[in-house]
Amino acid sequence: MLKKKTVGAGLALVASTVLIAGCDGWLGETGGEVDITAMSAEELADYLVLETGSYRLEQEAQEGGSARDRMTQDGIQAACSLEGDPDAETAGNVIAMARESYEAPPGGARLGNWRRGAELARSGYGYRVGHRNDDHGQREPGGNCYACHQMDPAEELYGTLGPSLAGYGATRGNDSAVVNYVHQVVSNPHQYFPCTQMPRFGRNNFLTEEQIAHIMAYLLDPASPVNQ
Amino acid sequence: MFKKALLALPVAMAVGAAAQAGEWQDPNDVLQNLLQNNPDSKYLHQSEMNIMMMPDNPALWLVEEGEELFYAQRGPNNVSLEGCDFGKGPGELEGAYVELPRYFDDVGKVMDFEMRLVHCMKELQGFTSDDSAVGQRHGSGSDIMKLTTYIAHQSSGMAWNPPLDHPEEQAMRDAGEVLFFRRGGAMDFNCASCHGDAGKQIRASVLPQMRDSQEWTKAVSWPAHRAGQDNVRSQNHRIRGCVWQMRHAGILPDTPVNTALISFWNDAARGEPAILPDLKR
Repeated sequence: MLKKKTVGAGLALVASTVLIAGCDGWLGETGGEVDITAMSAEELADYLVLETGSYRLEQEAQEGGSARDRMTQDGIQAACSLEGDPDAETAGNVIAMARESYEAPPGGARLGNWRRGAELARSGYGYRVGHRNDDHGQREPGGNCYACHQMDPAEELYGTLGPSLAGYGATRGNDSAVVNYVHQVVSNPHQYFPCTQMPRFGRNNFLTEEQIAHIMAYLLDPASPVNQ
Repeated sequence: MFKKALLALPVAMAVGAAAQAGEWQDPNDVLQNLLQNNPDSKYLHQSEMNIMMMPDNPALWLVEEGEELFYAQRGPNNVSLEGCDFGKGPGELEGAYVELPRYFDDVGKVMDFEMRLVHCMKELQGFTSDDSAVGQRHGSGSDIMKLTTYIAHQSSGMAWNPPLDHPEEQAMRDAGEVLFFRRGGAMDFNCASCHGDAGKQIRASVLPQMRDSQEWTKAVSWPAHRAGQDNVRSQNHRIRGCVWQMRHAGILPDTPVNTALISFWNDAARGEPAILPDLKR
């Protein structure tokens, strides 16, 4: 097999391990050989993600920036890349980072329209890139809450990765302390649940403040089916 | 080799009298043993319909089509794939699939199954990336999926046993574990967001837990017919779908992030029998 010469795309593949490896394009952009056994597992993982052409990193991301930005970890993502629960020190650092990066909405947190919130909670559309790209011009992205949470007790299809939120507002009310707390959890939940699996919907610009207000109404408005 | 056989032995004994570490088993028998041994696994028992359909798994059609393709003289060089070495020697397919990814001397790196298959189709048969034979990676009608299903079937019932003797095999497996837990993307997810706990659901779908090797062997047993998509899918297709749903960057075929992840996946199922091909929701 090594003796076979194949000419393609202007490159002659010859029987050299180094050359063939270089032509496969992932042992460094310069074609130089990289010794992957000399790296720690963490270094190698970062190298594989960012330096080997494994992802379409130059693609535009819907939230702004590029796919490369998505794959470059921020402080919370890096600190929470662990198995199981964080230790006390990590948890403290993550809470501090989350508090520092939290932004209260201009004019304070408020409730929007629970009917709009119900649509957003059901929709799993938005922000996917790669072989197919979600087109936010065609369809509004949603919060995909039902993928992980029970909400309306009459809805049969719901995930269990997160806690049930059925009756959430009915047991807590919706005074300003509750509304502010729920906003903090939806926008940047690591303030209360360090290294939670829940996305930072506000911090990551995944949902707009208006959309968050609608989803909060779905959770907290006494008229919402979540609270029946 | 002796050490590997010893490691696999207690597992093989646990899954039933007929099963032995290196012995081929019908994929339905492998599944039935797993179900019996794990009566409380919500993941394994989630679809009665799919369990019932398993003896008539539509993926079995691809086994026959893949066998024809494997032995046919094809490509610009008009040769069969019998000269392709998947790690057990040229044309040796029995048990090859469950011992991948592995380091290949001829290319000087670790390759996963699909990478190796494409490598052989290019180097031996002379196909180029522009040919649909290697360009089309997904769907039951693709050559790649037919060949994948045929070759994988030759390892059905055998224990996952990706080699870690070469330092690069160990490095890729370890990087794969880091990647499994590496959080990123617009939703801050890692693989463990969905595969960290037992019996969790995303919407209606029960998810496999990575640290439960008897759930995980089914999880990584691709190729599998996906009933919901009416197509036979690969490990690489599963990775692409997860990464897309996680809102990470789009992943490309024949790239080392795939290889590292699959190295870790298959290692996490080590010692458990593979269901090849499987049938999934």
